[in-house]
Amino acid sequence: MMPSLEIITPKNLNDALNLLSSKEKDIHIIAGGTDVVPGLNQESNRFKDIRLLIDINRIAEVKGIKTDKEKISIGAAETFSDVLQNETIEKKFPLLWKAVSTIGSVQIRNRATIAGNFVNNAPCADTVPVLLVYNATIEIESQSSKREIGLNDFLSAPYKTKLNADEIVTRINIPIPSNEFAGDFYKLGRRRAVAISRITLALLMKSNDRIIDEIRIASGAVTPIGTRFFDLEKFAKGKKADDEFMKELSGKLGEQIIQVTGLRWSSEYKLPVVQQMFYQLLKGIER
Amino acid sequence: MIEIKFILNKKHVSAKIESNIRLIDLLRDKFNLTGTKEGCGVGECGACTVLMNGRAVNSCLVLAAQADESDIVTIEGISNGDVLNPLQKNFLSHGAVQCGFCTPGMVLSASALLDQNPNPSEEEIKESIAGNLCRCTGYKQIIDAVKETAKELNQK
Amino acid sequence: MNKEFSVVGTKVIREDGVDKVTGHAKFADDYKFDGMLHSVMLRISEAHAKINSIDFSEIENNQSLFSIITSADIPGAKKVGMIKNDQPIFCDEKVVTPGDVLAMLVGESEYELRTLLKKIKVDYTPLPILNDPKKSLDKDAILIHPETGTNLICHHPLRKGDLEKGFAESDDILEQTYTTQLIEHGYIEPEAVIAIPLGSSQGVKVIGSIQNPFTTRRFVANVLDLPLSKVRIVQAHLGGSFGGKDDTMCVLSARAAVAAMKTNRPVKIRYTREESILESYKRHPYILNYKIGYAKNGKIKAMKIDILADGGAYVSMSPFVTWRTVVQATGPYEIENVHTDVRAVYTNNPYTGAMRGFGSPQPIFAQESLMDEIAARLHITPDEIRRINGLKVGSITATGQTLKDHEVNLVRVLDVACGNTDFITKWKKNKNEKTHIAALDFKSPVLKESQFIKPGNLIKKGIGLAVSFRGCSLGAEGVDAASAYLSIQNDGSVYLDCGLAENGQGLRTTYSIIASEVLGITTDKIIYLELDTGITSDGGPTVASRGTIMGGGAVKKAAEILLERLEKFVKDEFKLGEDDFVSFRENLVFSRRKGLISKFPEVCKLAFLKGVSLASIGWYKSPNVHWDEKFGQGDAYFTYVYGCQVAEVSVNIATGEVYIDKVTAVHDPGKVINRLGAEGQVYGGVTQGAGYGIFEEVTTDKGFIRELNFDTYTIPTSKDIDEIKPIFIEGKDSYGPWGGKSLGEPTLELTAAAISNAVSNALGKRFFNLPLNLEEVLLSKKLRPADTKRGSLL
Ligand code: FES
Ligand code: FES
Repeated sequence: MMPSLEIITPKNLNDALNLLSSKEKDIHIIAGGTDVVPGLNQESNRFKDIRLLIDINRIAEVKGIKTDKEKISIGAAETFSDVLQNETIEKKFPLLWKAVSTIGSVQIRNRATIAGNFVNNAPCADTVPVLLVYNATIEIESQSSKREIGLNDFLSAPYKTKLNADEIVTRINIPIPSNEFAGDFYKLGRRRAVAISRITLALLMKSNDRIIDEIRIASGAVTPIGTRFFDLEKFAKGKKADDEFMKELSGKLGEQIIQVTGLRWSSEYKLPVVQQMFYQLLKGIER
Repeated sequence: MIEIKFILNKKHVSAKIESNIRLIDLLRDKFNLTGTKEGCGVGECGACTVLMNGRAVNSCLVLAAQADESDIVTIEGISNGDVLNPLQKNFLSHGAVQCGFCTPGMVLSASALLDQNPNPSEEEIKESIAGNLCRCTGYKQIIDAVKETAKELNQK
Repeated sequence: MNKEFSVVGTKVIREDGVDKVTGHAKFADDYKFDGMLHSVMLRISEAHAKINSIDFSEIENNQSLFSIITSADIPGAKKVGMIKNDQPIFCDEKVVTPGDVLAMLVGESEYELRTLLKKIKVDYTPLPILNDPKKSLDKDAILIHPETGTNLICHHPLRKGDLEKGFAESDDILEQTYTTQLIEHGYIEPEAVIAIPLGSSQGVKVIGSIQNPFTTRRFVANVLDLPLSKVRIVQAHLGGSFGGKDDTMCVLSARAAVAAMKTNRPVKIRYTREESILESYKRHPYILNYKIGYAKNGKIKAMKIDILADGGAYVSMSPFVTWRTVVQATGPYEIENVHTDVRAVYTNNPYTGAMRGFGSPQPIFAQESLMDEIAARLHITPDEIRRINGLKVGSITATGQTLKDHEVNLVRVLDVACGNTDFITKWKKNKNEKTHIAALDFKSPVLKESQFIKPGNLIKKGIGLAVSFRGCSLGAEGVDAASAYLSIQNDGSVYLDCGLAENGQGLRTTYSIIASEVLGITTDKIIYLELDTGITSDGGPTVASRGTIMGGGAVKKAAEILLERLEKFVKDEFKLGEDDFVSFRENLVFSRRKGLISKFPEVCKLAFLKGVSLASIGWYKSPNVHWDEKFGQGDAYFTYVYGCQVAEVSVNIATGEVYIDKVTAVHDPGKVINRLGAEGQVYGGVTQGAGYGIFEEVTTDKGFIRELNFDTYTIPTSKDIDEIKPIFIEGKDSYGPWGGKSLGEPTLELTAAAISNAVSNALGKRFFNLPLNLEEVLLSKKLRPADTKRGSLL
């Protein structure tokens, strides 16, 4: 049962931004609606003050996938199905493609959008670790300003981001990684399909004669928010990626996660599994 | 109240609606298309699946207002009058229907799949209905029915 | 294909199929009536509390409110129950579990009504909460229903032979404790019902997602204090039940009926998924202790079994569920000395009742785990231990029943299952492949180098089996009979009506097949009437997999009565000789001498003109069974079915994920009447059983459920099981239509046990607690969040 509210479907970004700057608190953006609609329907606290929804689906500025030599730019309101159909993403961003293909069901992917996955900064957002290792940046606009910040900075705390009330996330920009990078994405759920993630891991690595040139590591669902492990990455740089080191690095990831997350009811299970599966990821890209 | 216009089962329709109703409410309550079922209200069961612009969506996750200017097909619009759609026929002949509560959503998910991919693998069939829960059939006969339909369509 | 039959055993399309694939089939929530009101339930956030007062003053004059329905509006019984009347329709004195409803608001808009709920002030005093069934019988335990003087719902003892002697004769004794979890039926259609007032002379009509209309009628009539004849229950298409739309629907129907009588308007109740999971009853969690003595040669000498079932806040079907447990607790093994106690107790947890399997999946998990463990200790294979002890013709069961006059197919299903899966070879191979699940030390959570698993070693294969015997129909639980009504119209079309309600499984199709087989007509000639208690006679409940054996038996009788009448009529009418022979096939009528003589419709028309009655009632009553309560001895069921399932799994030893590669399900349902339906029962039952085995669980915290929707209560999807292979051993049995017996429940009860044995085969360690979820497989324990907040399960 939904509270009574108004819905407006602006045809361009300016109209939407105008609305956002004029009224305030009780406005919420809706695109796919896969989070907002059931949230409203179940009278979730997160949405209880909302009186106006702005549907951004008809706004050209937040749609479309554009590619150039350096980067890809994905409209915030592109659905996961659109992402999966994009060849550049499939070829150049295989981790993103894989992460998106594990999300929800066909029906969910047909509606849910790429930005919708992270704008509420839920710990189990599957694309976040992947976007983090790809160094994704977020384009944000308000009526008075336009800015671009790294996703890592954007996500500030569980269910909190750096988005201001009058702003809209318009695009996600991801630099195309050089071909020397190898990587993989891992997700663990309680069942084979349509599962809430218990663990997600993303890994990108560039090495030269087994010497690690650059490594990027991120996790989701085992940390309060999707998290990049910069310290670990620094530690690994220049090291030889042999079996012994991979094990060491995996153990260190476990330590880092305890540092970030503390011990929880689920740690006894998740901690060893994260280390095992991270090790498996490292071994997997070695071959 | 807002007014929306859309195509519903190949007919142009319009409706005056509250902005807080969902597409499933619009279909069931205003258009009396009760073939679309609500099993969970949170996008997990797929009983409410309809086609929106050719794609399978959970109508419990779409606001009615968002259907404006779109093309919606429900289970009532999938057959050609009294002539069953090949999927419907094969669901029957393969025993893919037990209680039938999941059936409309299953048929629509499968139909969206075959429209996009006339020659799906078993894995692709399973993936296409992974968002449609069925508690009765264990899915096997449903998967067989979809396979058979694809085979028939390809022979034509 | 069997030559004797023309329709039976073939693939027949279900009679309600077209309506269901086109979306025209009406389920309860699809019905609308002029002037219909909606309703919402008032609950409090407590599992146990005394209600001091409810203050409606703030909403009484609200426009959105049409009426407040409380227990003061109930003219008749304020408490109801399947077996014991301990469940209030409205809990205005006390709540004993979080699903309890205090009162109900009715009005035009469900949404508006919901906002009113928050304005009702309930004054209550919280009471201590009892959640642990092990503490229910403690001397100082708080009583959930003080008027009963105890938290004991029931106790079924069974004593056979001399336990002491049996243990003394044993070479080894093994004792283990197992637990099974609370689970939800998970029908995809949530509960819905509409009550329609028919005026004082007619009473009330109720349409709903009702599993057993006659039971519902009894409840509603009691609550309204009306004669049964003034309560008409019509069953809408039922969106799955699995035993779950019985008590809950009776209570909801009663609430709707009280409201309809009070407001004189049709009143609908429909539940969201959350409300459905919150209020509906579930499968009993069991704690099972088994002590078993056996000789070196594998022969089991003695078994002492102690089982405790959590009945939750109400009695519901607990006494019957646990009765089946006591009969079947040893498993299908002949054991001389048995001593069993099964108890069910009250707690403040969600109440538990009937669910497909009905008290059998729990002991099967325990006893089949034990059998594998004993086999391992004796260094024999799992099939051997079962062959040594398994029931055969002439065996005496734990209840002292000698198995005769049916085929005791236990060893046969076992042989077929093993042969078909190459069980022994695979089992030995998996067992010999050394698995190393690293012992984890939570005090130093960082893995040691030696604990990391080589990528190639991640997946381990396992194979396991489980066998069972299952008593058909109700057994000594109660009187067991069913009736069916057939009426042939003068154009040869046929009305068929049977008091056993369709639950979605295809019962009506099975009945149509039986009638068409007997009468030699095609199934499309048969029209199945919707079940309306105002027209249909009571066939007893659709429970205990009794649909085919009992209802099918009745349909066959009814058809045979008509056949005999028609044969006689045709002989007279067509002046056939005494020694000629009439037969009906595919809507045609033949004489052995003259060949084709007429068509079915013509014969029917002639019979009608000559005043021959073409209506009949068939009655099928089960043979008598008897039961001694004190020692748990007697002929518990009149016949049994046997099954063996083999599960093949892949286990990820780093994560504890279990993937089900294949389940081979061998069952002996007697005669397969409805082939598509029978296969569907196997696929569906195995899939449910697999969910029970590896991830389904309703967890509670102080009685409150964490998994209130399908996002967290995960049931199997299309991707969770790779292959299911049904194999039917069709035997001859003197009971049921052509020996057609039971199938629905046997398919489910074995799967979890077989999977657990398969995972053990893969990992070399035993499991004692269902489900085998990620944590259980890896750590042999369950982990739980501290609260029930949404999202806490991440
Ligand atoms: S009702 Fe929409 S997915 Fe379940
Ligand atoms: S047929 Fe009952 S849920 Fe699918």
